[in-house]
Parts: sequence; C-alpha cells; structure tokens
Amino acid sequence: MKRSGFDYYAPESISEAVVLLSDLGENTFVMAGGTDLLIRKRHGMIFPDAVVALKKIKGLDRISVGPKKGLVIGATALLADVAAHKGIQNKYPAISDAAKNTANVQIRNMGTVVGNLCNASPSADNAPALLALGATLSIAGPQGDRTLALEDFFLGPGLTALKPAEIVIAATVPPPPANSGAAYVHLSARGKVDCSAVCIGAHIELQGRKVNNARLFVGACAPIPMRTPRAEKTVMRKVFTEKLAEKAGAAASEEALPITDVRATQDYRNSMVAVMTKRALLLAHKRARS
Amino acid sequence: MNNYSVIGKDIPRVDGREKATGAAIYTDDIKLPGMLHGKLLRSPVPHARIRSIDVSKARRLPGVKCVITGEDTPKIKYGNWRLFPATQDEYPLAVDKVRFIGDEIAAVAAVDPDTAAEALELIVVDYEELPPVFDVLASVRKNASIIHETSPSNISVDRKIAYGDIKKGFAESDYVREDIFTVHPVSPAYLEPCSSLAQCDQDGRITLWTSTQTPYIVQCLLASTMGMRENDIRVIKPNVGGGFGGKMELRPWEFCAAFMAKLTGKPVKFTLTREEELTTGRRRHPMRLKSKVGFKKDGTLMAKDLHIYLDGGAYNAMGPTATFLCGNFGAMLYRYPNYRFIGQHVYTNKPPASAMRGFGAPQSLFAAESQMNMAAEELGIDPIDLRIKNAMVTGDTIPDVATISSCGFIESLEAVREMSNWKRNRKKNKKGYGIGIGCYSFISGGVFNWFNTQYPFSAAEVKVFSDGTAHLLTMASDIGQGANTVLKQILAEELGLKMEDIRLTAADTAMTPQADLGTWGSRVTLMAGNAIKDAARQIKDVLFGAVSSHFDLNVIFDLECKAGRIQATGKPERGMAFGEAVAMVQKTNRGIPVTAKGYYTPRGKGLVTPAFSFGAQVAEVDVDQETGVVQVKKMYTAHDCGTVINPMAVEGQLEGSIHMGLGYALSEELVMKDGKTLSNTFLDYKLPTAMDMPPGESVSIETYEPEGPMGAKEAGEGLASPTAPAIAEAVYNATGYRCKDLPITPEKILKK
Repeated sequence: MKRSGFDYYAPESISEAVVLLSDLGENTFVMAGGTDLLIRKRHGMIFPDAVVALKKIKGLDRISVGPKKGLVIGATALLADVAAHKGIQNKYPAISDAAKNTANVQIRNMGTVVGNLCNASPSADNAPALLALGATLSIAGPQGDRTLALEDFFLGPGLTALKPAEIVIAATVPPPPANSGAAYVHLSARGKVDCSAVCIGAHIELQGRKVNNARLFVGACAPIPMRTPRAEKTVMRKVFTEKLAEKAGAAASEEALPITDVRATQDYRNSMVAVMTKRALLLAHKRARS
Repeated sequence: MNNYSVIGKDIPRVDGREKATGAAIYTDDIKLPGMLHGKLLRSPVPHARIRSIDVSKARRLPGVKCVITGEDTPKIKYGNWRLFPATQDEYPLAVDKVRFIGDEIAAVAAVDPDTAAEALELIVVDYEELPPVFDVLASVRKNASIIHETSPSNISVDRKIAYGDIKKGFAESDYVREDIFTVHPVSPAYLEPCSSLAQCDQDGRITLWTSTQTPYIVQCLLASTMGMRENDIRVIKPNVGGGFGGKMELRPWEFCAAFMAKLTGKPVKFTLTREEELTTGRRRHPMRLKSKVGFKKDGTLMAKDLHIYLDGGAYNAMGPTATFLCGNFGAMLYRYPNYRFIGQHVYTNKPPASAMRGFGAPQSLFAAESQMNMAAEELGIDPIDLRIKNAMVTGDTIPDVATISSCGFIESLEAVREMSNWKRNRKKNKKGYGIGIGCYSFISGGVFNWFNTQYPFSAAEVKVFSDGTAHLLTMASDIGQGANTVLKQILAEELGLKMEDIRLTAADTAMTPQADLGTWGSRVTLMAGNAIKDAARQIKDVLFGAVSSHFDLNVIFDLECKAGRIQATGKPERGMAFGEAVAMVQKTNRGIPVTAKGYYTPRGKGLVTPAFSFGAQVAEVDVDQETGVVQVKKMYTAHDCGTVINPMAVEGQLEGSIHMGLGYALSEELVMKDGKTLSNTFLDYKLPTAMDMPPGESVSIETYEPEGPMGAKEAGEGLASPTAPAIAEAVYNATGYRCKDLPITPEKILKK
C-alpha cells in the first residue's frame, strides 16, 4: 500500500468543508484534533488520499451553556476546554468528568469531544455521559443540515450514521430537568491514565424520593456504547436506595455484552458493569438531591 | 576523612539542561547527506523453515536502493557470551529458519522510511511452518519441537550452585514449605526506541552511531559478523534515552545499517518503532521458580532448594547471565547454611528475553521475599524480625561465589521499620489497607568475563592542562542514568577541580581508551570510577612530585589537590595553582603533555561482583474491595549503596526503580496469544504514569565499600527488585490474596 503523503485541506467554513468532502474521493478523512486519525494512519489501518481539517473554521470550537438551548459543544472544542469549562462543571458535571478522563493532558489539548464521538470507539469516554443526557448532533452535509439523536449515531466500532461528505458540527445537550442528576464513572484496572475497561453514563430524575426517569449507558462493553433498559426499569418509580442501585447494577451486568481483550476479561467487565453502574447511580442521585 | 567538596553533593546532571530543552542529540536526530532509511522484514510466524525469499519486486520499487536477506550476509553467528561460542546462536538476518514472531528476515534501505515500509510488503517469503512451543514446561517435554538443532533438549544453559548439605538442612528444619512462583515478561520500555546510523568511508571502514549501552561489545561483534577487523569499526554512542538492559548486545539493525552502508556507499539509518520495540524487543525473563525453604521454629533459616526455568524465548541473548544471577540472588540477603540452585535456560518460540534492570534479581527476589513473608506468617514471627534474624552481615560469604565486603542490610530493615511505623500499621484494621515489606541485594558490576575481553574491564584517560582544566576520556556509557555526572564528580574530587573544569569525551571506540564493557549490572560507578581514580593517582603523583620539589618539602609531607591548587596538606601557602603545577611538569619534560591512563579489572572477588548493595522497602496500599483496584499509597525505602556520590542522582534512581517496580507488580503486561504480543503500544502496555506514582520517603544507609571508589557501590538497579514483593505482601495484608503469579491484577484479587 502507498504509505507516504496525503493531500491536506484546511477549509475556513463549513460549507467549504462540505464541498471539499463531496468533491474529493471516498478515501478522504475529516480531522478535528487528529489524535485518533493520525495514529490510525501510522498503524497502517488507513491510507488516506486526503484529509480535511476543521480547526481553521472560525467559531467551530464554541462552547455555550444557555437556559433554553442547553449545552452546545462545537466540533473542534477541545477536550481540555470542555473539562475546564465552569458552566459545564456546574450544570453538566458528568460531561466535564468524561472529558477530563479522556486520555492524557497532551491529547486533551489537541483532541475534541466531538472527534471522540465520531471516532466511534466502543470505549469512547465521552459517549455514555452524553447519551445519558440525551444529546443530539447537528450535522452538515451536501443534502443540507440535519439533527440526529446521539443514540442513533453509533452503528459499530468505528462506524457511524454519517453519510458521505457529512460533518458533525456540534453536540447539543438539553437543559437538565429539575431534580435531575447525571454521572460519569469509569474504571481502568491498570492505572490512572488509561483507556476505560468499563465506563458508565447515568442520568436520573427524581420526584420526591422516587425515580421518575432514568437513562443508563455502558461503554467498552459492546460494539457500541449501549443502553441498559432493564437496569433503567429496575429503578423506575421506586424509592432510590443503595440497594436499588445495586439491583440496577446487577441488571446492567446481565445486559452488557463485553468481550475479553488486552485491557480486561469478559468476566471482570461483567462484574464491574454492576459495580460501576451502582456507583454512577449513587453519584447521579447525590447530584439530583443537591 | 569525608571532607569532600564534590562527592556527596547534589550536583545537577551535566546533560540536564540540553535534555530538558530538547537540544540533546540522539541517534535518530543525526542526518547525513544522501542518507538512506532502513526497515526490517520480520517473521509473521513463530516457528518455520524458510523455503525461499523473493525480493525481486521490492528491489524494483522506485526509491529502494538495497534489499538484503540472510543469504547476502557472511552468515556468522554472534552473541555476548563469546567465552562459550556454543551460546552464540543468532544471525543478524534469519538463515534457513525463523524462531519467533518478529525474527528479522530481510532489510530494505530506501530514500525514505515510507518507501522502505512499502518495499517490505513486496517481499515474498515461503514458510514451511513448524510446530511452535510457547511455554517452558511444553518446551522441555520429550518430543517437543526443537528450536535450535544445537540444543535438542531446548535447554541452552544449565547452571548449578550448591553448598552445605540441603538434605541435612531440611531434615533438621521444623518448618518446610515449597511454592511455585511464576513471573511475567515486561518491556524495558526505554523512551528512545533503538536507532542506528552507519557510514562507510572510502577505505571501507565503518562508523556506527547507535543507541547502545555497550559500544565496545557492538564494535567487536559487528566486526566478527561483518568479517572485518575490530579497529576498522568505530562505534559512537550519542545521547541514549534509556536502556535498562535492552540495549547491551549487537542487534540486527546495527549490522544491517553497517552492512548496507558498505554495499551502497551511502549512510543508512534504522530507527525502530514503538510497536517493534514492544512486540519483538528484548524483555525481562519470565520464569517459573520452584522454591523450598526450611526453618527452625525460632525462625533460623536452615536450607533452600531452588529450581528455576528461565523462559529465554528464541535466542540466548543475555540469558546465560540471568541464569547465573538468579541463582546467586536466591542465596542473597539471608544466611542459607545449605543451598542448592539449579537454573535452566529454556528456548521457546517467543521474542528473546534478555537483561533488564535487575538481571535475574527481580524474579528471584519476588519469589524469595514472598516466601519469606509467607513463612513469617506461619511461624508467627514478624516479617522484619525474621529477616533481621537471618540477615547477611559484612564478611559473610556465598562459598566459591562471593564475599560480602560491606553490608548495611540490618540497618536498612531497622530504618524502614521505624519510618513506616511498621509495628502500629501492621495491626491497623482499616478495610482495604495493607502494608508489606520486600528487600533486595544487588551487584556492583560483574566479575565473570563472559565476553572474553582481552582489555581491562574499565579504562580512563586523564589529560590535564596548564589552564587548570582536565579532559577525561572514557568508554563508559551514560545512557541516561547519570554516569557522565558521577564520573566527572569523581575526577573533580580527586584533582581538586570544579565540575566545569572537566571536559568529558565518552563512549567512542576510536577516541576513548580501550576498553569498557559498557553499562549493565550497575558496574559503571564502581569500575569506571576506579579506573578514573587510578589515572588521577598517576597525575597526582607527577604533580605532587613537582610541587614537592619546588617548595623543597620534607618527604614526610602529605600533599593534596584542593580548590584548584596543589599544596602541602592544609598549607595553601606551600603550593601553587593546579594549572601552574601542570605547566611546571610540562616544562620539565620539554613540552610533553601531562596525561595518564588508569584501568580497573576486578580480581580476587569471586565469580559475581566486587561489591553488593542492600536495602529494604515497605509499601502501603489501599485496595478497592469492589473493583480490586490497588492504589499504592506510599513507599518507604532504606538502602545501602555505600558512599553516596550524588544524593540527587540516587534519589532519581530510587524513584525510577519504584516506578518500574510498580509496573512490574501491578500494570505492565505483555499480553500474548499464539506467540504474538498483543500489547503493542503504550495504550495497551501500561507503564505507570506520573499520576500513578506514590509519594515516598527514603534514607541512605551509608557504609564504606572498600572496593568502591570513595566507598561507593551500586544504586540504580537493585531497587528494581523490592517493590513488587513489598506490594504483593501489602495486598495480601489488605485482602488475603497472595500473589504467586505476577502481575497482581484486580481480577485475581477479586477471585481469591
């Protein structure tokens, strides 16, 4: 395979980027931070003819938190900036926790939250929290703009619902309902800077002491970040207790479909889905109460 | 007497600034006009005969300048154990057979690295696959696939140490236990991947810049494999970003760079990728250790019977030394009145294991120290008390093998006991909390001349100048451990000069004095330090004589080099500036420069080493009861490295050792499947990061080692051993999970 070189484009507007992607051949890749893409190239997993970089597009790195629109994370907003954003830390701590846990300092200074989603790794740190909070994606493409629920975005490892020449412009998270709380917890068995072996996004809404709504997602335990509806059902309309969280964890563990890989075995992942789901629910509950 | 001005001071690294600013030049930074880039074709199968190799398509690819296979080379085997040629089992490029996934088969040199990589894909190799063996027990079985025809049993090295009467020792024991331990391979994971650049001059002589710990060994073995004379090969070691034992042999890319530079007339550079390093590079020996120990009821050690299978992988590499040393370390630390060791180095179809920081000690001491902790529990004796009862002291011997000429082990044990508040914390009953101990001893350089060098083990040349400066030339290799700083300190102290008065030229086989066996086995401070002292003594003799004569000093006067002067001891007025003294001597000799050469070769020091270091370490851990995740909270260390030449450098070595021990115990693992290493990047090969490092407290127990320069011995390698057994014991103390098969994983803890 031809290994050397590729054409590099750095358009200054979204429309220019979409036109470039439509005109260039199929073997063209969109790049935000490049922290996944360039490594895949170096490992000989891809041999791009062209790369369209998004970082020159003004305003695409926007992060905003508003009472009506909720949270908007632009396509080139850095993981480091999302992690450090005061507004996100206050209103969406699960999201800043997820960004803060992604990779290491150097990569957070280059890589982006949206890029982490588009890379569609089953263990993507930012997916479960955003899924739990019901995020949607704004997508630009040759057929015009569209909005897609993040839940419908992931199709498999490295596979997304993006059509040719489409670009994710932003991820949007609705304003959190009253008495709700969300959490992101993750586990790496091998140190503080690591790819997660299990990660959980949890969101619950309380009515009094009862759980009125719950969304639970597990990362790194299926081909895509997966929802665990039976675990959600376990807690619905029940008074929240630690015991209940434990039960939900056990249910999630039965639903998850982990494999054994170099990071953890299937058995360990299964039991950790239970532990981490419980911990995520406890933290989400604590946040919902405060 | 310890009135030193440079020794014992926190002298910053002489290369610290250039490394921190990125100005330091490593091999891969060197670019020569017309330089070609090399890549290696590696075997994708673990064990096969090569039927044929077709390189014609690769040769035709535009940009490719040279393609070679084993058939193009002189086919001369090499290996570090030159004293026993039968152990030399490697070809630079495979001849007839491949023996592990990653075995080098062919090399390409092209105008850029991408073209070279593309060309590799065009080489067609026809393999006749042979049944592979991946584990030592399968490999030593009868009818196992034979990996080297020269070793039909697949055991390439046997080593025995025996003294006393173990039968009697066990018979007289009140308590005997036998355990089997297995330890896993880990990567040296130096930050600078191997890199070599060769240039051939018009007379056919080779200059090789290479990332190595052992320029002299590379020079000699490159000469023999190329069929050249040693003196026609010059090896230069630029800055090296770590070695930890993984860069102490001739390697295929060094040969290929030189050989292809000769063929093409152009400089050729090879730089390995991290993936190559992790999947095919040298690693610490996995071992299977069966250990039986006997004690009296009161804790007195009676006997030990140790059998170790070393999983050597496909070639011997430094395995013979590891086989020798793991048995030596099995007998260290405590007085075993009766001891037997049998070590067997076994071939398997995996990447070769070799030297790695500790050189047999981390494995052997993990078993020994864990077993000591288990025995202490069952004998109902505190683990530290049990150790003190049996601890080696100055003057102890391992019959026919070694004598302990200085030993601060008991002091180390007492110091960590106090520092860690051992007695109180051992009783602490907090969920998930645990505290444990591990100890070590290590060598300060090797005695056994396996390389069969005809030169002294270390050499130094010192030139002094009338401007009050000195030039130190030595083949000793700083690979990041700080040798250049420490060696300069030793010379500065000897000559009464300042650090900045000394120019250093090191590790260039054509420019620095013959010879030095390189950086391994923690030999540099002691051996090169002694050679420098020898040279300095000769310089001083000459300068002292001149000053004595000039001031008409009584022969009974002592003289000294102090603060840039040569003077009657304590009498600055009866002396002169260092440079003046040099000028005077030079005048007397009609201009001949004032120089001296010093040498050191250990003699009468047994088989292992001139000096042993000792130490003890305590780990405190917190174990998450639900996830099994271990958090090391604090490490306490007390160690005896003789005179501390540079406390800051020793502290750096200590922290680096803990880092490595932490990875060995808890997170680093070369996950393998069917001979293939799956952990091929730092994403999946988990080196602990700065975030994982626990805080620590340490104390140096200063002893005076009579054989060491200024009383110094090793400080950078032995400490790689105690961390894993200390953590393992702390985890046991916290959870009841006793690790006998490294690494300790959350899963093993939960399954206990």
